Amino acid sequence: MDLLATLETFAEQCNQNQRLRKMNRDWTRLVELWATDTDQRYWLKSEAGWITSGSGEAMDAELKISARHDILHDIFSGVITPTEPYNAGDLLVKGRQDDMMRLDIITLLIWGE
Amino acid sequence: MKHVVSVSLGTDQRDHQVTLSLLGQTVMVERRGVNGDLERAESLIRTLDGSVDAIGLGGIDRYLVMAGKRYEIADARRLALSAHRTPVVDGSGLKDTWERWIVEDLTQSQVISPSMSVLMVSAMDRFGMAEAFYQRGYPVVAGDLIFASRINYPIVTREELIELGRKLLPEMVKLPFWQLYPTGAQQLEAVPENHYEEYFDAADIIAGDFHFIKRYMPLRLDDKLILTNTTTDADRAMLRSRGVRDVVTTTPVIDGRSFGTNVVEALLAAISGLTQDHDGWTELVAKARHELFKLSAS
Repeated sequence: MDLLATLETFAEQCNQNQRLRKMNRDWTRLVELWATDTDQRYWLKSEAGWITSGSGEAMDAELKISARHDILHDIFSGVITPTEPYNAGDLLVKGRQDDMMRLDIITLLIWGE
Repeated sequence: MKHVVSVSLGTDQRDHQVTLSLLGQTVMVERRGVNGDLERAESLIRTLDGSVDAIGLGGIDRYLVMAGKRYEIADARRLALSAHRTPVVDGSGLKDTWERWIVEDLTQSQVISPSMSVLMVSAMDRFGMAEAFYQRGYPVVAGDLIFASRINYPIVTREELIELGRKLLPEMVKLPFWQLYPTGAQQLEAVPENHYEEYFDAADIIAGDFHFIKRYMPLRLDDKLILTNTTTDADRAMLRSRGVRDVVTTTPVIDGRSFGTNVVEALLAAISGLTQDHDGWTELVAKARHELFKLSAS
C-alpha cells in the first residue's frame, strides 16, 4: 500500500478531469499529508488547475492533514470519503475550511455516485 | 389560539412575534434565534415539544429536495428528532411548490421575462425555483459551489446541477452544518475578500438565499431584481440604497418582515395537522398562499 503511488494516481485523475481543472484553475495551494502512524509526510500541490504530488515535508503548506496511513490511502483512492474519518475525529485538518471542503468536493467528483 | 415557534440558527437580532388570522384560525407566530448554537436549538425544541402546535426549523434545511431525491442534513435531523409530540418542519414542503409558482406568476405578470439572466446564489436548497427558471428558458447561473465552497465554478445547466447534487449531496449533508451555511453572527458579516462580483454584475435577477446574497453582494446592484425571502425592512432599505430595482419576497411580508418558508410551513401544519407527506398538502399550500398574500397586501 504505497501512499505516494496512490497520491500520484489521485493527481492524475484530477488532471484528466476537465471540470476539476476548471474548478481548480485559481486554486494555488500546497497540502501536506502526515501519516501519523508511520511518521511519513507527503504533499499535493495545486497550481493553475494542475495537481502534482510528492513525498517529504511541505514546510509552507497552507493545509495540513494528518491521519493514519490506511485512512489517507483509503481517502485518496476513493474507498472512503473524508467526511467519515473527519466526523469521527480520525482525520485532523489545519487550514482554511474552504480548502478542506474543496478537497472533499474533488474526491466526490472523482468517485461520487 | 394556535402557537407556532420558529427556532432559528440565525441571529437573535431578527427575533419577532406576530399574531395573524389564517384559514379561519388565529395563530401566534414567534421566531427565536439561537445565534448558531445547535445545542441551544436542540434544548429549545425539547422545551417547546408538546407545548406549541408546530415548530419551524429556521436557518437550516432538513431536506434538500432535488429531481425526485430527498437528502437529509444530519444536524437538522438531530434537531427535528428532539421533538416527539409537536411536528417540526423546515420549509422544504413549501419550497418545492410555492417557489415554483412564484417564478410562473412573475413571468406571467411580465415582472420578469426569459430574456433576463438569473444568478441563483444557491440552487440545491431551492431546486423548485431553479427548475422553474430553467424550464421557462431563463439563462441561470447556479452559484452553489461559488458561494458555499468558494470554488469559482458556475453551474449553468439543470442537468449539471442535478449531476453535481447527486455526487455531492449524499456526503455534504453529513458535514457539520456550520461548514455548509452561515449561521449566527456569520449571517451579519459581509465577506471581506469578495472575488465573485462578476456574477452579480452579469445577472438581471438575483435569486435565492438572502444570507448568501448579503454576504457576497457588491456595493452597487443597479437595476437588479432580487427574489428572496426572510428580509426585514432594514434589509430592503439597504438593497434599495444599492440601486436595486425591486425586491420580491417569495413569502408574504407581514408586520414588516417576510416570513421564512419554515414559518409558513409550520403555520400550515399547526392549522391543518398536515405536512408535506400528506395528501391534500399542495391544495392547502395553494389556498394559504392566496390568503397570506392578501393579508400581506392589506
